[in-house]
Amino acid sequence: MALKGLDIFKLTPKTNCKECGNPTCMAFAMKAAQGSVPIEKCPYLSDDAKAKLSEATAPPMKSLKIGVNETEHTIGGETVLFRHDKTFVSKNLYAVNVCASCVDEKLKEIENVDYERIGERMYVELINLVYEGDKDAYVELVNKTLNKGRVLILDCECVDAARAALDVCADAKPILNGANEENYEQMNALAVEKKVVLGVRAKDIDALYDTVAKIEALGNKELVLDVTGSSIKEAFANAVQVRRAAIKDKDRTFGYPSIINAAALAKDDINMQTALASVFTLKYGSIIIMQSMSYAQALPLYGLRQNIYTDPQKPMKVEPGIYPINGADENSVCCTTVDFALTYFLVSGELERSGVPVNLLISDSGGYSVLTAWAAGKLSASSIAKFIKEFDVENKIKNRVLILPGKVAVLKGEVEEKLPDWKIIIAPNEAVSIVKYFKELEV
Amino acid sequence: MSKFIVIGERIHCISPVIREAMNNMQPEPILKRAKEQIDAGAAYIDVNIGPAEKNGVELMKWAVKLLQDNFDNIPLALDTANMKAIEAGISVYNRSKGKPIVNSADAGDRVEFLDMAAANEAICIALCSKAGVPSDNDERNAYCQELLERGLGLGMEPEDIWFDPLFLVIKGMQDKQRDVLNFIKDLSDMGLNSTGGLSNVSNMMPKHIRPIMDSCMLAMAMQCGLTSAIVNPCDIRLMETVKSCDIIKNETLYADSYLEL
Amino acid sequence: MGFKRSPQTFSAKVNAVTIGTGEKAVTIGGENVFPLYSFDAPIENKPKIGVQISDRGYNNAVAGIAEYYKGAENFVDMAKKAALMPGADFLVLSFESANPDAENTSVEECAALAKEIAEAVDMPIVVEGCKNKEKDAKLFDKIAAALEGKNSLFLSAQEENYKEIAASAGLAYKHKVGAESAVDINLAKQLNVLINQMGVAGENIVMNLGSAAAGYGFEYVASTMDRVRSAALSQNDTMLQMPVITPVSDEAWSVKESIVSQEEFPQWGSMEQRGVSMEISTAAACLAAGSNAVILRHPESIATISKLISAMCDKEGN
Repeated sequence: MALKGLDIFKLTPKTNCKECGNPTCMAFAMKAAQGSVPIEKCPYLSDDAKAKLSEATAPPMKSLKIGVNETEHTIGGETVLFRHDKTFVSKNLYAVNVCASCVDEKLKEIENVDYERIGERMYVELINLVYEGDKDAYVELVNKTLNKGRVLILDCECVDAARAALDVCADAKPILNGANEENYEQMNALAVEKKVVLGVRAKDIDALYDTVAKIEALGNKELVLDVTGSSIKEAFANAVQVRRAAIKDKDRTFGYPSIINAAALAKDDINMQTALASVFTLKYGSIIIMQSMSYAQALPLYGLRQNIYTDPQKPMKVEPGIYPINGADENSVCCTTVDFALTYFLVSGELERSGVPVNLLISDSGGYSVLTAWAAGKLSASSIAKFIKEFDVENKIKNRVLILPGKVAVLKGEVEEKLPDWKIIIAPNEAVSIVKYFKELEV
Repeated sequence: MSKFIVIGERIHCISPVIREAMNNMQPEPILKRAKEQIDAGAAYIDVNIGPAEKNGVELMKWAVKLLQDNFDNIPLALDTANMKAIEAGISVYNRSKGKPIVNSADAGDRVEFLDMAAANEAICIALCSKAGVPSDNDERNAYCQELLERGLGLGMEPEDIWFDPLFLVIKGMQDKQRDVLNFIKDLSDMGLNSTGGLSNVSNMMPKHIRPIMDSCMLAMAMQCGLTSAIVNPCDIRLMETVKSCDIIKNETLYADSYLEL
Repeated sequence: MGFKRSPQTFSAKVNAVTIGTGEKAVTIGGENVFPLYSFDAPIENKPKIGVQISDRGYNNAVAGIAEYYKGAENFVDMAKKAALMPGADFLVLSFESANPDAENTSVEECAALAKEIAEAVDMPIVVEGCKNKEKDAKLFDKIAAALEGKNSLFLSAQEENYKEIAASAGLAYKHKVGAESAVDINLAKQLNVLINQMGVAGENIVMNLGSAAAGYGFEYVASTMDRVRSAALSQNDTMLQMPVITPVSDEAWSVKESIVSQEEFPQWGSMEQRGVSMEISTAAACLAAGSNAVILRHPESIATISKLISAMCDKEGN
């Protein structure tokens, strides 16, 4: 539990010497309790007191690294419960279940989903290896999945089998998800020896709390908490309460990333798994395990995750460039808008629905919406002309019609001056009118 | 953080109408003033029954029940030098809308009011002074530490002790105003709540100046982290300032009609 | 030892609003906890699902939807079938055809249809307009009159037409008013204030805070809902305590992922499954963010989300 101001005050010399920059020892203690003053500021605290205090004032949630090199990921490290309070820092990761009997088929399926969306690679980052009681088969499974560019989770409560698996894959920094109330001492020793993150589970949230406390007492803080439990309701209650205890109530025992096994919760109902994965992407899964990941699941889930883990201070931007829509070629008209992802999606979506081939030109406008970019000077006649030149549009496209967003109709004259060979026309103000406008467009 | 808390000061025995009503236990004048203040946006109503050495217990119980029965258990600040009267008031107080406030303790003769608040699980206003006005912030800080240590030692939560920096009259103590603001900032940095009789700053100023001066002081104090004040909520300019500051500090969500809410 | 729980319950709560009449009436809102936090305090009125049908029909819809309404010859037939959809709690009638850019169906014709449907089904009715603000004001006036006594919800009143809609649907015919703000939290509050100042009680207003499909700016939807719910509960902001309804289907079924054919993108697989997934994912995310009701279209999505809501809110052991 977090230390209170009074607890810290009792450790201070109570001399009000002001050497820490605070008017009184109590002021120092109150601020240290909130984490706004580092406790080292007091020159008169004993080392013992300092050790006790720095523990209590550490960040609320542990940040962990799993995997190595190009498969390395960071999980945890969150400091807020709601993204608008600051931002979420480590996006959640998705894993797919693989067992000895389905490994070949599953690997193919996992590798199939791999694409890019707004500058981010979307793929299954982890493979969850389910132990089914046969040690040799499990080691075989590890061997088959080891070098596939994914981090492994050893979903295995058998210490013996886990050791055999880790003998093969420890260097790849998998997660050993197998400690429980009974085996935690041996599992912990194994995880420490092999230097891998340990996953902890228990029959309920109280047992989980106690087991984590016991493992912490053994000196290990490289942990993830499997909060799945036995029902959907329990899993959600666990996920929220664990995160809330860590962030809001500063209870360090629960200050670790979480694992949610949506596959176990929804059995064979893949639609339910999609629903659960969506819920836990918002609140508060760090690793979400699915039975499978087809494009149908991946497209909404990865899009949702990309949205939720966007820094509210930094708008999502698409890369500047020429985006041909509906099979547009060099003879198709051009239209332009800003690089703000939301605007891009809205406009490109409507253009797609119109069925008319168009080259959509996206210039760097700082991730602002049309009017904001215009007001900030990031969408101007010069910026459009510069884009046409830099991206060599006049050699790539023969058509000389350029359509401007309706909201910046005022730019028409200036753009005509800068691009004398082009016919400049104005699109409607609102995206909803795009379909109709383009269908009726005669140029 | 949370919204600024306005404690309405207009039920005060210094007002002849109220004094008269309290003497005769007449409800109407008291209810009228309470309603005006609640309608104007007061979250707490201060009930000052004066020294009330003789009939304090009876009077405070009567006033607490009267106000809470008529105004949906409106939370109250119980304000008198008679400690027994406050305890009696708390004994009939309904906490569903908020804890009672003991007004007030200090680091001097009235330090036991803090003990009494702790024993009754009440909020306590704690004046950062001993006898008279503190001379500087070192003194304020020392009293604050003393009171905080005592209160926490008695098991109070730090947020239940509302420190009063003692607002000073500008006419005469103009050079001390920045001290008060800096001290409020110190309290806020410690994560503590604060309150006080803010309109003291404009004492002895012409009537038309007072709302302007009070509003400015309030805005500056809120920027420093003041969390509450004991004021006249019927001062429209002052209440508009509170609402606007709450918007700027993101304590309430803006809507074009925010002043009407 | 065990875990020390510290439930976040609030003295403020979301307003409970009832739509419809009789046995099938539904109540949304009423909770004093964050969305779906039934471990903090019981959630009396679990979130509800609306099944959306359009007066333009679903002839071109994906197989699962077309199949469900097979044999329905008109809007009224569709409504009768929709009213039997497993998992759905209320009916959402979308009068898209009234848009001047579509068939420009007359308001009288729409009102007559609405009346016929209301007489044929006993499910609560939510009326959606044609996304033309001027026409919607007139359309809602006529439909509100035709549905008098049915306690329906009208989606939605916006900044430009709230006066007409609040006066007619809200005051004259005593229906519920939906206040629509496109992920603009200040406007959301202001619209509630304005509609309230016209005389519609806060308890008769439902908010549509705007929606987006997963991947299409959903962060704005999530953060708007987070902030609205937090203001309603922790700041006791009475002008934001209205329950939230989110139309999911319109967005979910119009993004690229749901409309590009399998021929065009063979790797992506079945278009219908993509659409269903998009609808489910968006709806589940909306519920987690704070929607008290979602509007959906596909029978499979409705079944899944209904199951999710029960799993989240019903007492253990179901």
